[in-house]
Amino acid sequence: MTNIQDRLSTGKGKFTPMYPELGTDPVSYDDCISEEFFRAEREAVFERTWLCVGREERLPRPGSYFTRELPGKLASIVVTRDLDGKVHAFHNVCAHRGNKVVWQEHPQDETQGNCREFACKYHGWRYALDGKVSHVTNEGEFFDLDVSSLGMPRVHCEVFAGFLFVNLSEHPVPLRDFLGDRILELEAYPFHLMTERYGFSTRIHGNWKLAVDSVCEWYHPPYVHGRFIHPDQSKAEKMVPPVDAYHYDVFRPHMLTSVPGPPLLPPREGGAGDAAQDMRWVYRLFRAGLFGPDDVPDIGPMPEFLNTGEIDSWGNDQFWLFPNLSIQIWARNYFITYTYWPEAVDSHIYEIDMYFVPPANAHERLAQELVVDSTIEFAMQDVNTIEATHSALETRRQRQFQLSDQELLIRQFHRVIGDTVAAYEAEAAR
Amino acid sequence: MTTTTQLLPHGFEDLEPYVADWAKPTRAERYETRLSKTIDELVEFYDAIAPRAEEAIDYLDRFALDELPADATRLMQLLYSMILVSYAVNIFKQPRIPDSGAAFFDMVAEPAV
Repeated sequence: MTNIQDRLSTGKGKFTPMYPELGTDPVSYDDCISEEFFRAEREAVFERTWLCVGREERLPRPGSYFTRELPGKLASIVVTRDLDGKVHAFHNVCAHRGNKVVWQEHPQDETQGNCREFACKYHGWRYALDGKVSHVTNEGEFFDLDVSSLGMPRVHCEVFAGFLFVNLSEHPVPLRDFLGDRILELEAYPFHLMTERYGFSTRIHGNWKLAVDSVCEWYHPPYVHGRFIHPDQSKAEKMVPPVDAYHYDVFRPHMLTSVPGPPLLPPREGGAGDAAQDMRWVYRLFRAGLFGPDDVPDIGPMPEFLNTGEIDSWGNDQFWLFPNLSIQIWARNYFITYTYWPEAVDSHIYEIDMYFVPPANAHERLAQELVVDSTIEFAMQDVNTIEATHSALETRRQRQFQLSDQELLIRQFHRVIGDTVAAYEAEAAR
Repeated sequence: MTTTTQLLPHGFEDLEPYVADWAKPTRAERYETRLSKTIDELVEFYDAIAPRAEEAIDYLDRFALDELPADATRLMQLLYSMILVSYAVNIFKQPRIPDSGAAFFDMVAEPAV
């Protein structure tokens, strides 16, 4: 074994046998290429599960609002903070003749701002920040109009740890019941201190679940990202942590994986040395890398819910919130969210949002820039791999896939999606 | 009274030839520049700024981030560009990430500075 593999090896056995209900058989990937499954999944999962639409910091003041065009025409919504500070969400549709109420220049584009009320651009109907109609122009011309009953249709909206969740169903379970004890522990984390946001979005021509699969296992890095690690692949394979250095946990419908990371650089003394065409020199110069800045901001003591797998040289915890959100909390005191929005069976929108403590000076800002760029360079490679996978799956020439122990979360994820769809269909049939 | 605009802070005049291409305010513009250049041009820029980077960081650290004068802002943007080309120069030896095909990320939120 190499140095890093020696240092991080735990001698832990396999994880999958701890979850006998998941079995160890090959799995079908028809759930990623079937149009019929896609339609069922949208109804059973996306139209009735709590979905995160952003951080509360996007609503900084009473009167703040933003719109979201949830991909695949899932919904077009407005999220607001009313004058009492309460958060609301509603469908962006006028009660008069169905015009989109809140937009600027291009009806398809998202917008944000601050106001006391909304006015429809079509006939001037006005709406309070809770979505209710506050004024009808030429009201006397209508017939038996009950203005108090009119509004943009409400969307259930709840806030957890500063994350804004919406649910498109009529009678959702309360958000906190859905999240469950393990995810509720995230409330102890000071997300609110990390307001410096770097947000990215892209369309991927592949099923959204393939994208989730690609970042919940640690088998792919020496291959997909080999060049970052070492130009010689056989060396790259030996420079990643050993398989037993990672940690996995499943707590339906959510799940967790934890990852080791490199040690911090020693405190800054003297310089980075002579300039070189070498990323290690760049990392020393800016004191940052893929695993975060080396000068870590103080955010208070580390909450106990982190690194429950007791990984030495812990790098991050990735909490997978069913169905489409990963909250990655990094040892170096920043966090990233990954969100996956299906558009069609073979297309989705992938959002990466990185949040840091606001930098106090140029070198802290530059360290963040290097972390952000490193993350995106890696993510670009993952993205293209997903398109390659989807196009191959579509040929239907292989129908069963082999999953190793390192791919436990993939096994779990497809199982939970499949069970959720089956349960919904069984209920609908009754 | 002088009316000429200082492109970069005193002591960094040698980097002024790179301002027009690389001192751009958004990551999208910087990334577009990366893709529009040959690897030799990226290496030339990297080799010019890398030996000055440490001094530039020390200079910029004297300011509050939201009070950077225009010439210091341009110097900061050159460092952002250096970071953006570093993987291309040091790892990929080409402007584009290998095997990334048409993959591209739009930046939907970024800090003002």
